[in-house]
Amino acid sequence: MTDVEQAPERRGGSQLFAPVVPAPAPDRPTPGDPAFVDDATVVVTDASVWFGQKVALSDLACSFGPGVTGLLGPNGAGKSTLMRAVTGLVGVNSGSVTVDGRDPRRDRAVHRRIALVPEDEAVPGSLTATDLVRYVADLHGVRDAGAAERALAAVDMLPAADRRLSGFSKGMRQRAKVAAALVTDPGVLVLDEPLNGADPVQRVHLIDLFRRLGAEGRTVIVSSHVLSEVERLADRVLVLVHGRLAAAGNHRAIRDAMDDRPRHVLVRADDPRRLAAALLDVDTVVGVSLTDAGLVVTTNRAGDLAVAVAPVARKLRVRLREVRPLDDSLESLFRELVR
Amino acid sequence: MSTPTRPPRTTSPLVAIIRYTLRVCVPRQRALLFLPLAGAVLFGLLSRLSDEATVTAFAQVGGTAVHTLILPITCLVVGDALLGAEIRSGIFAFTWLSPVPYWTIVVGRWIGGCLIAAAILAPAVAAGALVAGAAGSVAAAIVAAVTGAAAYLALFLAIGATFQRPVVWSLAFVLLVERLLGAGLAGVAQLSPGWLAQEVLVGVTHAGVDLQRKGIPHGWAAVGRLVLVAAVGLAIATRRLRRLKPASASD
Repeated sequence: MTDVEQAPERRGGSQLFAPVVPAPAPDRPTPGDPAFVDDATVVVTDASVWFGQKVALSDLACSFGPGVTGLLGPNGAGKSTLMRAVTGLVGVNSGSVTVDGRDPRRDRAVHRRIALVPEDEAVPGSLTATDLVRYVADLHGVRDAGAAERALAAVDMLPAADRRLSGFSKGMRQRAKVAAALVTDPGVLVLDEPLNGADPVQRVHLIDLFRRLGAEGRTVIVSSHVLSEVERLADRVLVLVHGRLAAAGNHRAIRDAMDDRPRHVLVRADDPRRLAAALLDVDTVVGVSLTDAGLVVTTNRAGDLAVAVAPVARKLRVRLREVRPLDDSLESLFRELVR
Repeated sequence: MSTPTRPPRTTSPLVAIIRYTLRVCVPRQRALLFLPLAGAVLFGLLSRLSDEATVTAFAQVGGTAVHTLILPITCLVVGDALLGAEIRSGIFAFTWLSPVPYWTIVVGRWIGGCLIAAAILAPAVAAGALVAGAAGSVAAAIVAAVTGAAAYLALFLAIGATFQRPVVWSLAFVLLVERLLGAGLAGVAQLSPGWLAQEVLVGVTHAGVDLQRKGIPHGWAAVGRLVLVAAVGLAIATRRLRRLKPASASD
């Protein structure tokens, strides 16, 4: 079984990746389907969510189990909606979402097991970090007096614990929310873009923390639209595009599959025509087109092209003015892939 | 030597919610808290211009102004902070995503809101009565304001749990339902916190039969009606909370 599989049509209409295992769209999870796990705590069954005319999730089927699972997708892919559906904040219009076999929308007791770190920056600004964590602890009936302190320590917030949240940076607010989630000792932890605003040191710290929580046997679901972030966080990745599951599997294989796609690089130079002719001889170049903005070079390996283009220009005595990937962001890459 | 262990914390969810409400829902600009006081004092002074007896004059001028203007606006500000503002910003998720029953959330928020409103309104109406020279009306004015606020806040909680723009709907309730329809229809007025609060003041202080509106309970009966309105508001809010989609601010 390979790491990456194209999601069947019923849950991923977009032809993101070449199907590794050609198979008809199954009605039920097939053994080895990377969209599903054997020891699932969270099960999403043909879930659709729409807001008026806008479809946020469309017939999505997947499951989550112990360990860290990354949710990857461009903005508007449906990641946050899926996470809210898992926590019960949003009800599904059709299909179902269960946590430990129970509906988080109807069964309040399930919330003892779930914690969400929402993407929103909004926090009750008049509270301190300690106040927020203790409030959440009280709502969950946490009787351990040291739980709040431990949760704050886990995200390295103790030095600022008694400061008001209104004075916190975005990254600090995120960490305070993570602490509020951890204080309940959740079995299912849902993190919506948790690294937003965090500085590099805190990113490393939080990534280590999330991985450790996953290793402890908790179900950790982390969303991001940054592939490199998800790579470091999660071994298993689900890719959402337009509210559908586009791919699922090991992140390395997903990265390879993405890298195999042609990418576009803008090259601006003094003599673009001569440079274009020379670049066509470079192995990694698939095609070159001359535009008003400059040369648009299509390549399968953008990294190799970046190394190759400078010597070619030097040899021709052409001055390079700019070399810039046109579709380096994951979002633009997704756009290309689903075109 | 054994290490001393900290005793387990025993704060109940209801107490936690009340405490949270008291911390979070007080308007940030504290100067705003004095506006009701200033307004009540102003209307208390205006009551002195009346030729009526002080108790009657206060009920007629100060009381009417308090119950048609100061009471609903104060409750609107506090009531929106209780639920609507948190839902809009996404902060309500911290409370909603807990195993606490919906009724506990609603009642906790309501009690917290009542305490805030009482802390703002009670000194204001008391000062208004004193300035008007109607010291005997102080207790009745406080009862009327606090019970009126309790009913208003319950209704505004229900509106906050039902509509996406609770401030607009709450204003519409006060201006169109209470003031416009309530002025003409006794059936509407007898379910309206503003009208009922005024009848509490008029009835308890015996300010005069002329000031009593027909078809509406007076005095302590009006207090009972306000409690009933509050209970209905809380029941609706609890019911609506089950269906709530506490969306994020980015939605």
